Amino acid sequence: MRMLLQFAKTDTVRHLGLLDLQRTMQRALRRSGLPVRYSSGFNPHIVMSFASALSTGVPGDAELLDVALEAQEGALTEAECLARMNAVLPPTLPAERVRLVDDRFPKLGAALAQAAYSVELAGGDAARIAGAVPDYLAQSQIMALRKSKTRETLVDIRPMIHDLTAKTAGEDARLTMRVSFVEAATLKPELLLSSLCTFAGAEMPVCRIRRTGLLGVAADGRAVPLIDL
Amino acid sequence: MQTQTLSRRVDALLDRVQKPARYMGGEMNATIKDPSRVAIRYAFAFADVYEVGMSHLGSRILYDVINRREDALCERVFTPWVDMADLMRAEGVPLFSIETRSPVRGFDMLGVTLQYEMSYTNILEMLDLAGIPLHSEERTWDDPIVIAGGPCAFNPEPLYRFIDAFSLGDGEVSTLQTIDVVKACKQEGVSREECLRRLARLPGVYVPSLYRATYHDDGTLASFEPTEPGVPRTVVKNMVADLDAAAYPESIVVPFMEIVHDRINIEVLRGCTRGCRFCQAGMIYRPVRERSVERLLDLADKLVGSTGYEEITLSSLSTGDYSCLPQLAHELMERFAKERVALSLPSLRLDSRVKETLEETQRVRKTGLTFAMEAGTQRLRDVINKGITEEDLLSSVRDAFAGGWSSVKLYFMFGLPTETEEDLLGIPDLANKVVRAYFDTPRGVRARGLRVNCSASCFVPKAFTPFQWEPQDTIEVFQQKQRLLCAAMRIKGVEFNWHEPHVSFLEAVFSRGDRRTAAVIEEAWRLGCRFDGWSDQFSFERWMQAFERCGVDPAFYANRRRERGELFPWSFIDAGVTEAYLWREHERAMRGEITPDCRKGCQGCGLKRFEGACVGR
Repeated sequence: MRMLLQFAKTDTVRHLGLLDLQRTMQRALRRSGLPVRYSSGFNPHIVMSFASALSTGVPGDAELLDVALEAQEGALTEAECLARMNAVLPPTLPAERVRLVDDRFPKLGAALAQAAYSVELAGGDAARIAGAVPDYLAQSQIMALRKSKTRETLVDIRPMIHDLTAKTAGEDARLTMRVSFVEAATLKPELLLSSLCTFAGAEMPVCRIRRTGLLGVAADGRAVPLIDL
Repeated sequence: MQTQTLSRRVDALLDRVQKPARYMGGEMNATIKDPSRVAIRYAFAFADVYEVGMSHLGSRILYDVINRREDALCERVFTPWVDMADLMRAEGVPLFSIETRSPVRGFDMLGVTLQYEMSYTNILEMLDLAGIPLHSEERTWDDPIVIAGGPCAFNPEPLYRFIDAFSLGDGEVSTLQTIDVVKACKQEGVSREECLRRLARLPGVYVPSLYRATYHDDGTLASFEPTEPGVPRTVVKNMVADLDAAAYPESIVVPFMEIVHDRINIEVLRGCTRGCRFCQAGMIYRPVRERSVERLLDLADKLVGSTGYEEITLSSLSTGDYSCLPQLAHELMERFAKERVALSLPSLRLDSRVKETLEETQRVRKTGLTFAMEAGTQRLRDVINKGITEEDLLSSVRDAFAGGWSSVKLYFMFGLPTETEEDLLGIPDLANKVVRAYFDTPRGVRARGLRVNCSASCFVPKAFTPFQWEPQDTIEVFQQKQRLLCAAMRIKGVEFNWHEPHVSFLEAVFSRGDRRTAAVIEEAWRLGCRFDGWSDQFSFERWMQAFERCGVDPAFYANRRRERGELFPWSFIDAGVTEAYLWREHERAMRGEITPDCRKGCQGCGLKRFEGACVGR
């Protein structure tokens, strides 16, 4: 059996790196008393994986951890698992939901198709950027320079943008976006933002990115939270 | 409200620093209390970065001790790394506590633990960042009472201007006593001076502003006296007689970031009776007191349950001397093998029942093996009373190699009293013999990849040791010896590390420094010295400039041979061991005579004067 754990990486601890988060989750799982599975070898560790690593400095509202359990179906309830995890996690990393799934359930990383973000823009050109969104989306093609470790490639990012809305509040603005998140075509929110700024003829403002969701695509083509897939 | 804003201002800085996790807080098991419900808010400071400070056992004990009180809270404070400190200054953000990001200046008490001399400038850095006047006499009730403890408090004088009160010896009980006094003083509304006076009457507490020092023409101390009646002439260290009854945390903060000692630390015993003559800890933490196996197992259970840590270390000055070690190790293994909790045994003496415990440790996880030989020849080991022979080492490594270990660490010191070239060359000789023992182990049995890590540090004479009268080698002599060693240490399979003598030279100054060295620390800090224990921050030039500006000769403190009978800056402290004993040990050292472990017969070190000490021996 596997436990899919949805948790939040709150603002206070947004700077946690993947390794820090891994260690913390391992220790929390050890304390939880849940029947976790250990790897073999000299340095046994709990078999678990994150659906996606979240960058240092970025908080997440609905991150996902996949934990292998040594338990028969029915031996545990989801509510019990959630309660046990919240009893051992620090308040800065609250568990939000648990879903128990069969071992054959697809790997989260493989099912992951999209990610949702919100980006807070503070002052400066924020309003102008927000106002440019409808025209920006009306383009049939949006070419942007995607950088990888080894090279830069010019790609059309328009098909990777599934949803983009903007809201202004005084001098500030908030962008809400849902973008592709698969190995061949991942659109980073920073890249979308810089492309949007160029389009709007605006300076890149001070911004705060948070990941609000990880999604998969259901059989009917709808994007749904990964944990509900 | 004010804390709210400070918290946000700190948070904004975290996007701009190297390791934000150092300042983040929000860890598992951190204690957060409502400040309006307590009488005393205690900030506990460690004068180094988070990952170093969080690894210190004593701080964790006292954090727990204070937070167990209903009328007090304790929050942690560390020295912000240089990037953070510079940003804080630029943005006007004061030093803050980790738990609630409250300004440190607003706490009632600020405890500072003194673990090594090279962190002294960090104390000034923290006071300055907090907005607390550096000098005790300039502080008011708007500032916390600044109390320092820890091993370096046994020669407190280099910090006499910056610290309001020192607490000597075990802190479990005395920390609570100081809190009681400050609480009562605040409730009664007495003056800060009166509060310090009352603190000075507590056992083991030294208030430097209530003493005056005078000097002879040759620079040595002439007199050291209390300035008013009621202040004790001699300050006797605090000692917790029964470790089983002493407080010990059952839950500890589990950091997000990797810290230096990232595991459960269980103190099996305190003190050491071996009597190594260079070792200050072995003298000032006397007598030996053990925790019972039952108590340790109970603590281990609770700590594993409350932290989820995957490793337990049994710590003390000499864990191999713990009388029930095999039983304890065995029971810990039994209990935690299923939960994959590994057991590691640091500072393992190689002349104890290493073999048995090795076989035990192997069952869960392989950890490194460390042997503190300290000197290269038997003659010199006799001088320093390190009761280990070459055969002890070789039989231990043979067992270890046969047991599948291939990585060994050897620690040495050089510049020890009476050291000769032959003693120095004994170091590569021992390393060679360890290498040979590895290759003598049959190929199928030994693990591959031999790694002998050999490190040599410069000897620093310390207060309250039999070598407190001895001069330290000059930097030039250290460098000559280093060259000799380096040339002889080119051995296949052996990695040789040595420490630069400049830091050790400064340690020698401040570990036996007097009040006049306080000005040097302040000047060095003003010149930009901080994090002197970090080689990338350390600047010997700035320190030398500080000595020059203050007209203080560092060689007077580091390289001078002291006469028997000289009044030392630390002579007013009763650390348990008597000066007569230390001198007797000094004389025996010079004759190359060893002194057996006092468990095998009392050596009259002075601890018998303490009630409840040395029970049953």
